[in-house]
Amino acid sequence: MPTKRLLASLTGIALVLGAPAAMAASGKLVLYTSQPNADAQATVDAFTAAHPDVEVEWVRDGTTKIMAKLRAEFAAGDPRPDVLLIADTVTMESLEQEGRLMAYTDAPTAGFDAALFDAEGYYFSTKLITTGIVYNNDAPMQPRSWNDLVRDEAKGQVAMPSPLTSGAAAIHMETLTSNPDFGWAYYEALAANDIQPQGGNGGVFRAVASGEKLYGVVIDFLPIREAKNGSPVTFVFPEEGVSAVTEPVAILSTAENPDAAKAFVDFLLSVEGQELAASQGYLPAHPDVAPPEGFPPLAEISLMSFDATAALEGDQANKERFVEIFGQ
Amino acid sequence: MRLLRSGGEGLLLALLASLVLLLALWPMLRLAQEAILPGGTLDPTIAIDVLGARSTWNATFNSLDAALWSSAIALVLGTAFALLVGATDVRFKTLLVFGFVLPLLIPPPITALAWTQLFGPGSALLGALGLAPPAGSPNPIYSREGIILLLGIQHAPLVFITVRAGLRQLPGELVETAHVFGASTGQALRRVVLPLLAPGMIAGTALAFVSAIGNFGIAAFLGIPARHTLLPVLIYQRLASFGPQVIAEIAVLSVLVGVIAIAGVLVQTWLLRRRDVASLEGANRPYRVELGPTRPLVEATAALAIVLLLVLPLLALVATSLVPAYGVRLSVETATLANYVEVLLNQDVTRRAFANSTLLSAGAAFTLMLMALPLAYLMAWRRNPVARALRPVVDLPYALPGVVLAVACILIFLRPLPGLGFSIYGTLWIIFAAYLARFMTLALTPVLAGFQQIDKAVDEAAQVDGAGIVDRLRRVVMPLMAAPAAAGGLLVFMTAYNELTVSALLWSSGTETLGVVVFNLEDGGYTVLAASVAVVCLVAVLAIIGLLQALDSRYRLGVLPWTT
Repeated sequence: MPTKRLLASLTGIALVLGAPAAMAASGKLVLYTSQPNADAQATVDAFTAAHPDVEVEWVRDGTTKIMAKLRAEFAAGDPRPDVLLIADTVTMESLEQEGRLMAYTDAPTAGFDAALFDAEGYYFSTKLITTGIVYNNDAPMQPRSWNDLVRDEAKGQVAMPSPLTSGAAAIHMETLTSNPDFGWAYYEALAANDIQPQGGNGGVFRAVASGEKLYGVVIDFLPIREAKNGSPVTFVFPEEGVSAVTEPVAILSTAENPDAAKAFVDFLLSVEGQELAASQGYLPAHPDVAPPEGFPPLAEISLMSFDATAALEGDQANKERFVEIFGQ
Repeated sequence: MRLLRSGGEGLLLALLASLVLLLALWPMLRLAQEAILPGGTLDPTIAIDVLGARSTWNATFNSLDAALWSSAIALVLGTAFALLVGATDVRFKTLLVFGFVLPLLIPPPITALAWTQLFGPGSALLGALGLAPPAGSPNPIYSREGIILLLGIQHAPLVFITVRAGLRQLPGELVETAHVFGASTGQALRRVVLPLLAPGMIAGTALAFVSAIGNFGIAAFLGIPARHTLLPVLIYQRLASFGPQVIAEIAVLSVLVGVIAIAGVLVQTWLLRRRDVASLEGANRPYRVELGPTRPLVEATAALAIVLLLVLPLLALVATSLVPAYGVRLSVETATLANYVEVLLNQDVTRRAFANSTLLSAGAAFTLMLMALPLAYLMAWRRNPVARALRPVVDLPYALPGVVLAVACILIFLRPLPGLGFSIYGTLWIIFAAYLARFMTLALTPVLAGFQQIDKAVDEAAQVDGAGIVDRLRRVVMPLMAAPAAAGGLLVFMTAYNELTVSALLWSSGTETLGVVVFNLEDGGYTVLAASVAVVCLVAVLAIIGLLQALDSRYRLGVLPWTT
């Protein structure tokens, strides 16, 4: 216990010390993000409150679409964003390998799990967005395991995001198929149970909240937050563990305003930034920042193992295999 | 000598003609070039690959299927309604026509969103009434049939308008003659009236077909969740997933959409020509059917149809915008305005979209009014052959599906503008340019009609007095044509304000339009917020219709179908 408290206070000091580098930031900062609208707005508002001289211009879309936009800009030789805040580390890994990212070795990373950061300082996880199971409260079954989705009760009643659209769904597929307990046999069983992955997580939540489907494979915050507002859904962390995307932030090597970009990274990793993430309904990446209402403590959530480099290598083959199984 | 005298006019004509050609014709030519000569070289492999792909064939089949069936629905609904208000003694005609035509003026994404909220276990409206189906039932509107139904309802007014115009010309004497020879009302309708109305029915159905081929809003909102992909959605998805690198493939798909639309128009022309239609002019006594004792029943049926097709979906949309979270049962306790506060006050992106759409549509309306006045003047009063030859060019970007124009604009504006060194791709300007091209005809038509109503002698008198072209336009034409020009401007504003088809492909960092925001909110799972933005847009549309109505009833412009 005392060591943990000591660690926490040391972290606090480190976070405070990390801040001054950002103080002088000013000018225009262009942010491309896959955060939902309202959250992106709150993040930008909190950041500009701390850095009133920085004017943030931000664009929001799904990770796949935002990357399409960014790649088009790379092709045109005019990438607009300074910072990128997107769903998954696999995409960051590919950008790093292409030399599109700027290393930020002085980032305030003390106190975080080292597995959440790129070893060379190219990208930094800011929170955990896990993929679990949601069910409509009128559903006859309350699923507890991933295997409940391939049972007869769930036949044709599961909504699932497509890995071709959603970054989180792609990571989920990579996590489960590389896990010996599930593998591709699990995805084949889903297909056999009349489950047709389609669109993004928003559509999955909508289908389950409206009752058009009884169960869904979905990222945690949407149903947990909307259930608090009264939506008739419940989110479950399955007993085998969850997959997670970690919403990494990175600075582009072509950033026109690297000072402001570093200030933005510092802000996301600061106690204030982590508490903001928690207040928006996300699981903060920092173990000492309390998770929001409706989430179990970080320590109680079991994450299934995931290897970003391997995922990047197998990405295309996995997606092709997915298309083959589901006939899309 | 003549050249000198008309020097001002020649300059004006040159300016207008180059604007029209640059905005409306150049993009289309560039698109055709890209499809045939991708990247400037003759390379048929891309076209062959795209046209050979299974996804292309599926989407083409789905598009044709949806367009054909929906125009059949539009034909039946539109003709029935035209006969009802045009040929019977039914009461409350203005109200009935208003209710029937309004779906045409409601933006397709809003129609689609509203209908999705009317069905399924999650419907706030059905839930509040205790009529929602049990959890686990699918929402039937997310389907091929849903798309066909909504396209049919949206485009039925097009058939209604053309058939009703035909009814006005129909000589009642012919029907009376049929009755003399013993034909019943039904027989007369089948053998005399409907054949005579065929030209209007064919023209209206062709319009419905072409509109359905180009429709993006309904195809996207219903088709994407249903995994039923139509061609405009396929183009959108390709562009969203792969970006402008695949522009050559997208160009081929867009040309395919354009070719199908043009084929629809050609079939119409052929059908009309083949029928060898006798011209129906000067109906002394219009065709009339007395409904007699069944009149209240017919009126109630018509009213019920409008409630089902228009009122209920819009109520469902409003109901969804009032619940705090999706799936919550709407009641006096749960109802909240929080979603409106969120989209109108809190979210930058929705506020920005309101500003963008207002700026774009007001800018387009104003610019097009300024262009339409002198252009219509040269066409109608001066009967200038060059100006008159521009008419089909003006119509082209509106007649062709919106995705075609959008892709053409990307092709032209992706690279830096010659001589300027920067690209307008990704800025509001590219959307603005596309709006100018697409809605030019909406601004021009009322002004042309206005010129045709007024004797051009006033202009000639001013010319004899030695007034130059600019002077005449300012002193004679502008005051006379202010009302039609304003009507055209309002039409442009209203259509552009809620437009999605063009901006879905052209929006970028900070240039979201209202249509795009509704689409993105719905796509992200924020249905209640999407519904709130949609309701605000709907109120704006109704307000503009109110303004148009005021203009129309004062100046008899005939821009609103229920006032003529």
